[in-house]
Order: sequence, then structure tokens, then C-alpha cells
Amino acid sequence: MSENAVVSFRGVTKRFGSSTAVDDLSFDVRPGRVVGLLGRNGAGKTTSLRILLGLAAPTAGAATVFGHRYAELPGARHRIGVGMDGMAPVPGTSGRRGVAIWAKTLGLPAARVDEVLERVGLAESADRPVKGYSTGMRQRLSLAVALLTDPELLVLDEPANGLDPDGIRWLRHLLRSFADEGRTVLVSSHLLAEVEQTVDDVVIMQQTLRYAGPLSELTSDGTDRLEDRFFALAGAGKGGGPDA
Amino acid sequence: MRDVMAGEWAKAWSGKAWWLPAAFGILMSFMASLGYATQGRESIAQSRTDAGAVTDDVVQAWMMMLLFASLYGAVSVAREYATGTIARSVLLSGSRTRLFSAKLIVTTAMGALYGVLAVGLAVASGWGLMAAGAGHRPVWTRETWLILLGVFVCTTLSAPWGLFIGWIVRNQIAAVGTLMGFTLLLDPGLQALFPQGAKYLMTIAMSSVYRDGKPELLSEPLALLVIAGWLAAAAFLARKLLTSRDVV
Repeated sequence: MSENAVVSFRGVTKRFGSSTAVDDLSFDVRPGRVVGLLGRNGAGKTTSLRILLGLAAPTAGAATVFGHRYAELPGARHRIGVGMDGMAPVPGTSGRRGVAIWAKTLGLPAARVDEVLERVGLAESADRPVKGYSTGMRQRLSLAVALLTDPELLVLDEPANGLDPDGIRWLRHLLRSFADEGRTVLVSSHLLAEVEQTVDDVVIMQQTLRYAGPLSELTSDGTDRLEDRFFALAGAGKGGGPDA
Repeated sequence: MRDVMAGEWAKAWSGKAWWLPAAFGILMSFMASLGYATQGRESIAQSRTDAGAVTDDVVQAWMMMLLFASLYGAVSVAREYATGTIARSVLLSGSRTRLFSAKLIVTTAMGALYGVLAVGLAVASGWGLMAAGAGHRPVWTRETWLILLGVFVCTTLSAPWGLFIGWIVRNQIAAVGTLMGFTLLLDPGLQALFPQGAKYLMTIAMSSVYRDGKPELLSEPLALLVIAGWLAAAAFLARKLLTSRDVV
């Protein structure tokens, strides 16, 4: 592990019975970078992030944040903002009340709720029930909760899913400005074109690690397309990809 | 810890999970209470019972709220698994143990509110239904007040019982089915077949506390010990599973 790695995976393996979701995964995330964790559906991205956050235990290996396992990291809930796929809002709440509940859990003042709702563009619809929110609005709401503590690290799982073009552009600017402040973003995605415009570093996985390093190296400073390099590294897919 | 409890308290009052079980519990208890009052009118007229015994029955019918308090407890955690909210709860609580403790305290407090509601409505039923249904003024005896105390204690303790089942089962339908199966089928069935052993079951021990009056039941102090034992065992298992299983 490099000394200043914000996130470090070392030999992480996760098996569910006879099925291996993640196999011997090792990579580091450096501070102040936006890092894209790329892979097909079922490549083990979400499982890897859940292991990092202590929501799932690895079968072998270890994943650390700021040098500690998540459960042992002092102040982890304030230092790390998380938006995971499938992490729904509190049932029966409005956007504002849902975020306010998490703000209470974190011991934050109510004023912070309005700040993050404004930042994610939900201020005007904050009092509507979340059950009427579109997928994109739910993504923004999830980001609002992730941003509540003004964290040092953002861990986001497929945050662009359901966002419209305006939302994707907004997300790109948000993540860039976050990293420009010296903070770190680890974002999983299968939207290669979007990732190409957003990230500094890339981790490609397909159960095992296929590549970890700067995007510029992977694409030879933009000479190659990320999509082409991805398929070359991740191998043939089942859905009619170039190598299929 | 206070922050996490404040968050859980706010969650407890969100959505319909807190009032829907209460509403069903009130309806079921009221219907049973009304039935006892109506039946009591005939029984009193035939001198087969007296107004004091009918008052006790009318009041005791509100013990049904304990089932709905347990359903509230189960749903308060199982719905988080259903929606995926549980992952955020775990992450923002700081630790699984802290979340477990906060939910336990909040759910027990909600159980106590269910208990207050049950007792309040039981007393109101005693006055209202005795006059309207049984045609007599209620007779409040020491036994009546002990029944009310038992209803309060059992309703309060049923909420954490349901919570532990929710933590263990982690599925709303399965948790609700488990609690209803225990309370309405398994425990009464075993009691009919094997009363000497069944008196140590959770819901049968509770019937001692709200003074069901069956001769084979445990004494109240022993019943409370049995209830404490079930709660401790369920709490141990629930906590162990929460801290050892992946959060899905």
C-alpha cells in the first residue's frame, strides 16, 4: 500500500458459495483524484465498494480507507460520504425530511439540510414525497446525504444512473470541484463515455483487476478511446460488444 | 449515541409503519372488547357472571395490541432491509452495535406508547362499552388494574421482541409471518396440546402477565423471568447476526 493512499484494496476476494464475485483485487486510490471503478454489470464493483465500507466481509484480503478498515476508522461517518446503488430514502418521507433524519443521525444542524439540497438542485422539490421522485431526483437526494458532512472522500456507486444530460453534466462538475478542493472521489460506473470525461484515474475490473492507473496512460493521452481499451482489457462480453 | 437515537426517533415517526399496526390493533381490540361486553350482557342477565368479571374481560381484550406492537418492532427494521436504507443506517450510525442499541431504545419507547394507547383505550372501553354493550356500570377492582398493568408491560416488551425477530429474519413478510404464526398459531396450538411445556413460550408467558387466568399458567414473577429470558436470547442472536452477516 502506498503511504498516502486514501483507499487501498489488497488481495480482496469475495465468494458467495461457489461463485466468486471479486478475486484477488488490489489497487490504491490517491488523494485529490477522481477515480472511476469500471466494469460490466456483475463485475464485482458494488461488492468491492461494500467491502470497502464494511457492509460486507471479504473472504480474503483487506480494504482500507485512510489506512484503517472502515469499522475502525475514527470519525468514518463524517469523513466519508456514500451513495450506493439500491440505498433508498427513508420510506414515507419528503426529500427534506429524509435528509433531515440523516442530519440528525450525524449530529448536524438543520441548516445543513437546506445547504445540501440547494447544492444538488432539489431545493424547490424538497417538500415533495420521495415516492414521487424520478430516478434522477433520487440520485441527487442520495448525493445530498453523501455531501452532508462535507466529507474528505466520496464513494459513489453508479451515481449517473437515471440522470438526464443536465444532471450528468452537473454531476461531472460536482465531482471535479470536489477533487479540486483536494478531496477524493471513488465512483463506480459502467457508463464509459461519461467516465472518460470525469475521472483522473481508472480501475477496470472483471472479478479480477484488469487495469489500475491514470486514464491518460490507458488511452495514450487521448489517442485511444477508453471504450476500446476497456473491451481489450475486460475481455469479450455477452451483449454484442466489439470483442463478442 | 444521542444523535443516532434522535435520527432513529425521527425515522420511527416516518411513513405508515407506526400508525398502521396501531390502527389495526385498535380495530381488532375494540371488536373483541365489544364482543365481550355484548356477551357479558347475556351472561349477567342469566347470573352466570357479574359486572366485575365482564369489566375485566372487556379491558383484557386490549392485550391484542401486543401483537401489533411486535409487528411495529419487526417492520421498523425489516422495512429498512426491504428498501436498502439499512446500509445507510449502518454507515451513518458509526457502528452496527450503536445502531442496534439506538433502535432498541427507540422501539421500546414506541412499545411503551403503544402500551399507553392500549391501556387508555382499555379504560375508555371499560366505561363506554360496559354501559353501551353490557348495560352495566363497570366495576374496577384490583384485578382490573393488574390486568391493565399487564397489558401495558406486555405491549411494551412486544415491540423489542418484534424488533429482534426483524433483525434476525431481515424480511418484512417473513418477520410479520413469523410473529403472527407464533402468536396466533404455534403458541396457542402447543398450549392446547402440551400445556405444561407451552407455558414457557413467549406469548403464553405473557398471558400470565396480563392475567389470562388459565390454571396451568406460570406465576407472574416466573412468567416475567421467562419473558426476560426469551428477550435476552433473541437480543443475543439478533446482535450476533447483525454484527457478523453482510448488510444486504
